[in-house]
Amino acid sequence: MAKLCMGLFSGSLDKLTAAGVIMSGAAADDMDVEVFVLLQGARAFIKGNENKIDNLAEASHLKGEFTQALKDLNVSTWYEFFEMAKEMTNVKIYICSLAGKIWGGEKLEDFNGLVDDLCGIGEYLTAAEEADIHMFI
Amino acid sequence: MNIAIDQTLDCKGLSCPMPMMKLAKAMKGMKSEEVLEMIGTDPGTKSDLPRWCNKSGNVLLDEGELEGGIFRFLIQKK
Repeated sequence: MAKLCMGLFSGSLDKLTAAGVIMSGAAADDMDVEVFVLLQGARAFIKGNENKIDNLAEASHLKGEFTQALKDLNVSTWYEFFEMAKEMTNVKIYICSLAGKIWGGEKLEDFNGLVDDLCGIGEYLTAAEEADIHMFI
Repeated sequence: MNIAIDQTLDCKGLSCPMPMMKLAKAMKGMKSEEVLEMIGTDPGTKSDLPRWCNKSGNVLLDEGELEGGIFRFLIQKK
């Protein structure tokens, strides 16, 4: 089975949505997915933060249009994409332990239900080395 | 072409990647050689679906375009 490895640095709504769409596509293709959440990304995975994410990494002056279009097109939230992908295929989500601490998450219980474990950066690099596709978002 | 359809999946109005996710899910629940009819409106599906069939080994029996920008595919489970 092909494997996708994702370094998820960004915790912004647009990039999290992109990550969710890509992961969902991988799930439809029956791929294994490993996501390593780095620095800014970890903020989105702190328990209770999933609905608080509303900043954009790009074209932030068009945030209103962007979020309205997502609503009008009935696009799932980034969190729903992650959930659906996890239901469909083998998706593991790991939080870089440093990133977690920066946003106040020291233990697995501090994060939402998507998260499988905390990890060190070496695991990310090994996973990237072994994956068929590696991307950094 | 007269093909018996076992299940229909209506993806009209859905955007990428939902049609492909719904298709993958529906196909998992089908038996070998059963035929799924999928209809949708997302232009991404037009190229994504044949590619998905090719990759997954399921057979794309027929594809066509209906009125009003609706695509229709017939897929046979491998």
